[in-house]
Amino acid sequence: MSCLRKFIAVRLLIASLSVLAALASVAQAASAPYPQRVVSLAPSVTETLFALGFGNRVVGVTTYCDYPADARKLPKIGGFINPSLEAIAAQRPDLVIGVNDSNHPVKAREMERLGLKVALLTVSNVNDILNSIKSVAGLIGSPEAGEKLVHKITRQFDEVTKRVAPAPRRRTLLAVGLRPLVAVGGRNFLDELITLAGGENISGNAAQPWLNLPDEYVVARAPQVIIEAGMGSDRGRVARNWNDLKSIPAVKERRIYGYPSDKILRPGPRIGEGLEEIARLVHPECFAESKRESNKGSGCEGSRP
Amino acid sequence: MKVLDRRRMILVNGVLLALLALSVVGCALLGPVRLDLSQALQDVFSANPDAEILFRARLPRILLGVAIGGGMAACGVVLQALLGNPLACPQMLGVSGGASLGGILGLILFPHWLLPIAGGLLGEISWVPLAAFLGALLSMMLVYRFSLFHGRLHPYHLLLSGVIFNSFIAAVIMFLNSIVDFYQAQGLLFWLMGSLSTRAYLTVAFIWAYIIVGFLWLWAKGLSLNLITLGEEAAMQLGVETVALQRQIFVASSLMIGAMVSVSGMIGFVGLMIPHVVRLIVGSDHRLLLPASFLAGGIFLCWADTLARILLAPAELPVGIITAFFGGPFFLFLLYREGSRKLAL
Repeated sequence: MSCLRKFIAVRLLIASLSVLAALASVAQAASAPYPQRVVSLAPSVTETLFALGFGNRVVGVTTYCDYPADARKLPKIGGFINPSLEAIAAQRPDLVIGVNDSNHPVKAREMERLGLKVALLTVSNVNDILNSIKSVAGLIGSPEAGEKLVHKITRQFDEVTKRVAPAPRRRTLLAVGLRPLVAVGGRNFLDELITLAGGENISGNAAQPWLNLPDEYVVARAPQVIIEAGMGSDRGRVARNWNDLKSIPAVKERRIYGYPSDKILRPGPRIGEGLEEIARLVHPECFAESKRESNKGSGCEGSRP
Repeated sequence: MKVLDRRRMILVNGVLLALLALSVVGCALLGPVRLDLSQALQDVFSANPDAEILFRARLPRILLGVAIGGGMAACGVVLQALLGNPLACPQMLGVSGGASLGGILGLILFPHWLLPIAGGLLGEISWVPLAAFLGALLSMMLVYRFSLFHGRLHPYHLLLSGVIFNSFIAAVIMFLNSIVDFYQAQGLLFWLMGSLSTRAYLTVAFIWAYIIVGFLWLWAKGLSLNLITLGEEAAMQLGVETVALQRQIFVASSLMIGAMVSVSGMIGFVGLMIPHVVRLIVGSDHRLLLPASFLAGGIFLCWADTLARILLAPAELPVGIITAFFGGPFFLFLLYREGSRKLAL
C-alpha cells in the first residue's frame, strides 16, 4: 500500500516537475533567445534533437550517441551514466538535456549549481516519449517541429496497429541478453510496443522495467515469439540457446529472432520504426508485401487462431 | 572438543545427507510456476512443458547449487584453517577475482561464442565459463608466485596478495563496465552478482567432477588440518609437512574456486558462514567438519536459490542477496548464543 502511495507521490512529483519545466521554457521563450548550444546526456535525446532538425545546435553528446552518423563526430561529454561535468561545462552550453532515469537528476542539481540550464525528460512509457519530443521542440523554440515529428510517429503507430489488428495476439518474449536472460518487464515502453505490435509480453506482469527471468517461467508461459534484441545477437545463436526446450511454441514454430537493434531499444524518435520492426517479427504474415491487397480487411494470412 | 568416533561421524553426515536429499526433492517441486508432477514424469522425452520445467529448468540448477554450495563451504573450512583467519572465505583468494575478470573479458570480447562439445555431438556450451576458468588458473599462478618466499608459501602473504589482487581486479572490472555498451553493462552486472541458472548437464557434471576430486583431496588432509590450526610451528613439530600441505591446499581450493566462479559467478557468504555455523554445531575436527560443511553448504544454497526464484516471481533475484540476507542474521544469532553460553559456563 505504502509502495503504491510512494509510487503515486513520485509520479506527482515528476508531473509537477515537468509542469515547472514547461513553465520555465515558456518564461524563457518570452525573455531570452532560444538555446543555440545544447548538450545531450542520452542517445535518445541526441536522436530527438537531430530528428527535429536542430542537430546543428548540438555541441556535446555521450559516447553512446551513434545515431545519426553526424552525432558521432560531436564532442563527447562522457557516458550515459557518468557524464563529466567538466566536459559539459567546457562546451559552454545554454541548455543541457537529460532523462529522468539513471543518475541524471542528481547530476542536474550539480550542473544547476554551476549555473547551467538543465531539462530532464521522462521517457518511461510511449506517451512520455511523445511528450518528451514535444518538450524538446518547445525548449529549442520550434513547437511546430515537435508536433510534426510526433504526428509522423503516431502515423507510423497507426499504420502498424492497423496491419496487425486482424491477427490474434502472440505471446512474446523480448530479451536483451540470454545469459542471464534479461527480459522486458511491465513498466517499460517496450512492453507497450509489444502490445501495439499485436503481441503479449510474457513478463509484462512484472513490476520492474527489466528483469532476470528464470527458464522455467519461459517454459510455463510458452511464448509464441522470442526476440533477442541485445547487441551482436544473431538468429542462429539465439535459436540454439532455446533448442532444448521443445515444448515452447516459438521453438517448435521457429519464431525465434536474434535482432540487434537500437531502434527498438531507445526511447527516442525512432520508436515508430521500432514498433514496425517488432510487429514484423511478431506478425510477419501481416507484412507480406505481395499479399498486401488480399490481406486488406480479411485478416492476415497465415495467422493462427 | 567433542571426541570424534565412527558413530558420531555416521550420525551427523547421515542426517545431513538425508536433509540434502529431501532438499533436492523439495526444491525441485517448488518454483515460481506450478509443476504437475504426474504430467512431468510421463513422456519425459517428448515436448512436454512439465518435464522440461522439472528436468531442464530446475534439476540442473539444483544439482549445480548443491555442488557450488558444498564446494564453497568446504573451501571456506580449509582456507580458514590454512590462513588461521576466521574471516577467510573463497572470495578472498585472488582466484575468484581472476575468474571474474576472465569471465567478463569472455563476455565482452566473444559474448556469443559457443564451444562444441565432442564435435557438437553433445551440444554446445557458452565459452564464458572456460574464459573464467583460464582467468582463475592465471591468477592462481600469480598469487602463488607473490606468496612464495624461499620456496615456502606464506599464509600471511597469501591473504594479503589475494585481497590486494582482488581489489585490483575489481577496479579493472569496474573500468571495463564503464566503457562497454549500456545493455552489455547490465549483462555484466547480472553475471557478477552470480547465478546458478543453467540447463547444461554437461556443465553440472564438469563442476561436480572438480568438486568431488578437490573435496576428497582436502578431506584426506583432515588430520593435518586439525594440527595446523594449532599453529604452523606446532604442526611441524607434530610431524606435519606444513610446506607441502599449504601448497596442496592452496592448489586444490584454487582449482575448485576457479571452476565454481567460472560457472556461477561470485556467490558470496556460503563459504564464510557455513563453516562457522557447522563448527559451532559439530565441533572443529576437520575430518567431520569438512563433509558436514559440504552437505550443509549444499542444503543452504539449494534453498537459497529456490527462494531467489520464488520471492519476486516472475523476476529472479540474484542468489547472493538471499545467501547474505538469510545467512547473516542467522550467523549472528548463533555467534551470540555461543558467546552467552560460554560466558555462562
